[in-house]
Amino acid sequence: MNILVLNFPGAERAVLFNDERLENLRRLMDMGCFGALAASGEWNVLARQEHHTLTLMEYFQQADKLCVDTSDPVTLREKLSVGDWDYLQYTAASFPAGNWSADDYLRLDRDLGEALQELSDDTVILILGRDCFVLVSANNPLSGEYFGGAAADIAPTLVQLAGFPLPSVTEGRSWVQGMELNDSSGLTADEQQILRDRLSGLGYV
Amino acid sequence: MRNSDTDTMKKVIVIGLDGFEPKIAEAMMARGELPNLQKVREQGGYSRLGTTYSAQTPVAWSTYSTGTNPGGHGIFDFLSRDPKTYLPVMALSRYEQKNAFVLPRVVNMRRGTPFWDLLSARDVPSTILRVPCAYPPDPVKGRMLSGVGVPDLRGGFGTPTFYSTRQNLHADQSEKVIAVRVENDRVATQVIGPRDPKTKSDHKFDIHIQIVRAENKIIITSQGQPDKLEVQLGKWSKWLKVKFKVGMMQSVAGIVRFNLRQIEPEFELYASPVNFETEEPLFPISHPKEYAHELAMKIGRYYTAGMAEDHDGLNLNRFDEATYLDQCRIVMRERRRMMEFELGRFERGYFYCLYDTPDRLAHMFWRFREADHPSNRHHGYNPQYANAIEEHYRECDAVVGEAMKAVDDETLFIVLSDHGMNSFQRGLNLNTWLYENGFLALKPGIQPGESGDFFENVDWDNTKAYALGLGCIFLNLKGREANGILNEEQAEQTREGIVKGLTGLVDAERGAAAVRSVSRREQVYSGPYLDEAPDLLVNFSEGYRVSWDTPLGGVPRGLFADNHKRWGGDHVIDPALVPGVLFMNRKFRAESPSLVDLAPTILNVFGVPKNAEMEGSDLLS
Repeated sequence: MNILVLNFPGAERAVLFNDERLENLRRLMDMGCFGALAASGEWNVLARQEHHTLTLMEYFQQADKLCVDTSDPVTLREKLSVGDWDYLQYTAASFPAGNWSADDYLRLDRDLGEALQELSDDTVILILGRDCFVLVSANNPLSGEYFGGAAADIAPTLVQLAGFPLPSVTEGRSWVQGMELNDSSGLTADEQQILRDRLSGLGYV
Repeated sequence: MRNSDTDTMKKVIVIGLDGFEPKIAEAMMARGELPNLQKVREQGGYSRLGTTYSAQTPVAWSTYSTGTNPGGHGIFDFLSRDPKTYLPVMALSRYEQKNAFVLPRVVNMRRGTPFWDLLSARDVPSTILRVPCAYPPDPVKGRMLSGVGVPDLRGGFGTPTFYSTRQNLHADQSEKVIAVRVENDRVATQVIGPRDPKTKSDHKFDIHIQIVRAENKIIITSQGQPDKLEVQLGKWSKWLKVKFKVGMMQSVAGIVRFNLRQIEPEFELYASPVNFETEEPLFPISHPKEYAHELAMKIGRYYTAGMAEDHDGLNLNRFDEATYLDQCRIVMRERRRMMEFELGRFERGYFYCLYDTPDRLAHMFWRFREADHPSNRHHGYNPQYANAIEEHYRECDAVVGEAMKAVDDETLFIVLSDHGMNSFQRGLNLNTWLYENGFLALKPGIQPGESGDFFENVDWDNTKAYALGLGCIFLNLKGREANGILNEEQAEQTREGIVKGLTGLVDAERGAAAVRSVSRREQVYSGPYLDEAPDLLVNFSEGYRVSWDTPLGGVPRGLFADNHKRWGGDHVIDPALVPGVLFMNRKFRAESPSLVDLAPTILNVFGVPKNAEMEGSDLLS
């Protein structure tokens, strides 16, 4: 599994979750889960040890994963198109820190749409706005709005969805702890029925 | 070279009349019943027009568009097959999805270069209305509205819904049936929308029906537009715009129209397939993208599905011939409004508008031309409709007359059909023939009739050939098919065996030859997509076609079957028997013109040379 984190610290939840024009974002919201985040803790901290704070990035580095942390949209685009990463974390610097205009949100959705084109099916996607998130992966058993999450829960949840073991003590709690993850191969549809459906109406058959 | 006649022209106006049959048209002209077409003929000329192998709408119009035989554009039939699964697939377009997080993209399977691409490159604008096999639309300079190939909202060629209080009413394969209850003259039910790939259930849109018995009507109340829609008994309603919530966050819009069949003793209501809505279509249906909606704002909502006429509703007995004719008139009227609106602002370049209705109407009314048609034994024969096709052709002639108003001295005016129409009384169970002659094997203990669609119970390890689509035979080739068994030498023997066995095949019950000939693909196709073509094509005699059980891979009992469906006319027979028509307002080479000649002819009007792939020649030179 690859992990893509797109962080837009200036984006307000009220707009992200309600603007019907944000088509790509809305599609992802329907595919996974989303919600508000209580501000306690930092989203990228997995565990606090005695003398050290273990970030998500460090955790994956220790697991020998190719990690990238960037705030440059050009680097993001390059990395996405080449695909030489396992963990890619992007903090959007090309957007305002606050007071986004309507155009900024549309641009976010457009950028998101472009990024999605480059992904493989086995990607865990995390989108962060101000105190809110959207989390999508094929094996994610959570869907719809998730209530009561805190920022610190993000990192352990992500680690579990990506299929890695959690450290013995984590800062937050994984939302999928103890849950059976979905079979990520996806659902196989009743092919023949769909086919018949599609071809019917042709008149000739 | 440009000839002196075309030097002065700057417009080409083409009216397509799908399936317009020359024998009927010629007889009517001789009686003076098609005055406008007669006028074009006198100004220029008329000829029968050679069609394609096979004589089908998507195949033939793709040849018109590209100027190549089907080997050059890759459309050989409505259906094709996946050699890895032996399953039929829709041949006209495909949906490709890069990954799970993005929407699928539609890819047009008609390849080659349509001549309007060459015009666009030379800055000659085009207005193209409803050309088949342009879904998604080509990025033409000008405007294009897609036609045959555009699905309904369920992704098929058209799934209607029938609401009824009758118990034990079963849905046929191409429809949905909903059992409803009337309480206090109210019915609460739903319009069926797209299927959810995750849950496999259908998305639905709530509607509330109030029956107004005194006025023989119902009022449908919903969250759609309009919020109250009146439907008169026996009449087609206006469009209702509906929205299906396909997730917490997303919705898909569509348009649907109703026909109230009965209020008592049983309540029965028909809903058309849900068409794409023009403002927010699921996939693009026009170029530029906004054009489809711009047009709707000018002329009103219109059918966007490629198959606009609800022939299935009639075929499945959900409504009668009169209701189908009404609907055909609605389709004709809206197409005509489209044409008139666009011709009104057409100044130069290429204009095309296709009328599909002559084809869809003749399929369903042909049986009334033949009192002994087997379909009449099941559905009744009504002599009132014996001339329904002629009456419709007069309407087509009026459309031609309307288009002629836009024709001036600088206009090349063309009216053509892609193929003709013929009788379909008997069907050949092609897979059963292959079985009886040792080319197709069933699993041990299985007899014909015990094998359903999609080659159920076919023993691929012992099968040499299989039939699918409208007269296509594929060989079970080693290295190509999943369980291919034939090497090249065996393949040749198989081809020879099938050609020999099928040619002149006699329908014993009628004592008539059902098959005129069988073509090997190399005989009739050439070009880059030859490999995708069926290995053999069966050329049927008049009155015959592949049976209803053949296209999806059925192996029923018996070789021949009467055609009992109301769909009593067809054209997928020997292409030599079903040419189209060609009228032009300039004198043209009358010696065997064919569909491949149109692209070079039209290009030459604008001084644009044809490309190397185009096989025909300028009919005006």
